[in-house]
Amino acid sequence: MASNIKNKIISVPNYLKTWIKTFRGGLTIFCLIIISIIPIFLQNPYHLGIFITAMIFTIFAASWDFLAGFAGLVSFGQAMFLGISAYFTAYFLRNLAAPWWLSILIGAFASVCFGLFIGIPCLRLKGPYLALGTMVFSLIIFDLLMMGGLALILFGTEGISRVPSIFPVNETYQIKIYYLTLIITVICLEIIIFIGKSNLGTILKSIRDDSTSSEASGINITKYKIIAFMISSFFAGIAGGIFAVHLRAVNPAIFGPLYSFYAIIMASLGGLATISGSALGAFFFIFLGEALRPFGDYSVLIFSIVLILLIRFAEHGILKPILERLKDLWDLLLGR
Amino acid sequence: MGVILEVKNLTKKFGGLTAVNDFSFEIKRGEFLGLIGPNGAGKTTVFNLISGFEKPNSGKIIFDGIDITGKRPQKIVNLGVSRTFQIVRSFKFLSLLDNIKVSCLSPRGKSFARQHGIDEYASTILASVGLIDKARIPPVILPHGDLRKLGIGKALGTNPQLLLLDEPFSGLSHEETQGITSLIQKLHDDGVTIFMTGHVLRELMHLVPRVIAMHQGKFIIDGTPREVANNKLVLEAYLGKGDVFA
Repeated sequence: MASNIKNKIISVPNYLKTWIKTFRGGLTIFCLIIISIIPIFLQNPYHLGIFITAMIFTIFAASWDFLAGFAGLVSFGQAMFLGISAYFTAYFLRNLAAPWWLSILIGAFASVCFGLFIGIPCLRLKGPYLALGTMVFSLIIFDLLMMGGLALILFGTEGISRVPSIFPVNETYQIKIYYLTLIITVICLEIIIFIGKSNLGTILKSIRDDSTSSEASGINITKYKIIAFMISSFFAGIAGGIFAVHLRAVNPAIFGPLYSFYAIIMASLGGLATISGSALGAFFFIFLGEALRPFGDYSVLIFSIVLILLIRFAEHGILKPILERLKDLWDLLLGR
Repeated sequence: MGVILEVKNLTKKFGGLTAVNDFSFEIKRGEFLGLIGPNGAGKTTVFNLISGFEKPNSGKIIFDGIDITGKRPQKIVNLGVSRTFQIVRSFKFLSLLDNIKVSCLSPRGKSFARQHGIDEYASTILASVGLIDKARIPPVILPHGDLRKLGIGKALGTNPQLLLLDEPFSGLSHEETQGITSLIQKLHDDGVTIFMTGHVLRELMHLVPRVIAMHQGKFIIDGTPREVANNKLVLEAYLGKGDVFA
């Protein structure tokens, strides 16, 4: 028994060593190193803010990719999970002075509960009807917060502002937020990738590929669809929580269709069912938006043209072609 | 040898069409039973009713003493009735091993697989249907015969007591048919009760000791392959009525 454990402890670094030597492992470590040393070169809070936003959207897009890519459930209302959690996090931080990690967790669990509440009626719907159903729910919340009777109770169109900062605001504040976001993002992506490779992931993918056949294999597809919905809303909720912490304000616009579409565009841009593709898509999307800022009104035009071209020439996402080119380069460098 | 499946007065209507009409039969434990009939006779509908993919308008289906009439497919599978499909269904983007693993992860499959470990159990099944050397590839590039074997493997993952095979030979070459035949024979020898349909009669008639014939949703005859093949009504169902041959 003792030797068994000892073997395990010794074998883990060996496993890591071989993993790093593979192309995928090496690339992952390389990207992680690059993104961890960025604050050394880039101390401008605004520029760091762009990276933070990109990382938050990475989790958000990955949560959508989990739902659509693994379970085949296309949601057009992913922003409601982002929004619910952002509101809860902001409220707990400002009005109840809860610790930041607790606020984010509470926000995420509020999202999960909401995912369950939305999931049970919506999951009877299939394909485009599910997309429409989820979109309608998010629009209803958006409208309620903007102008319904709920607007008066739930902070109105201004939302929750003046959320207290979680670290003392000084010159290192943004760097701390940067690393906090980075750590949470890496952990979330690792968990999502792990679930994708687990037995649960296999079951979800089987439902995506052929739900009738899953049923014939004895799988309770409704149960697993709801589990997928809850996991997805949890991670969207984590993204929403960090979003509230980072922006220190939330307003009803977060429930609007725009954010839902962001998640879809980012995840599809990277490539469906490839969680790391969501990261690539999110960074590409956010950086492109920033790069086009000097063009003013024309930026949207250029942005759309770039997106259309990308979808035309890389219909399965940009992750795969990029990885293939890099792999060729890697093999060339190693002289294989 | 008790009765494992009892079907009583089963009726299923699709609009004005009665696909299955007052259909009754029994399968004994460990039996090997065939269901024949021309195209459109209602064979697949009978299977869909037993496996829960369709709900009957009237009648009862009792499996192993439990009334499974109108229960959901997933419930019925977990009681021990697995089926394959006439049109091959597989999880396109999962490896063959994962295809089998899905069934092993169902509540019933898990309770059997747990002792061996899910992966090992799925590998054993994949080996028993003769696809173990292709465990890591997805089913999209498999030939039709291998897909049929995969379908049977998927059904076996839940460790069924009763296996429903819907047209296991359709679209297969002669060699592929032989492979499937010996596979089914082996399963039956291992103690699985098998109920299979077919409209290509040669292979089926060689395989099974007892056959039920149906036509236009109605029961015609229950007997040995020889009795059924020589029955006037069965011949009429396949060839049509008339004095041409007289």
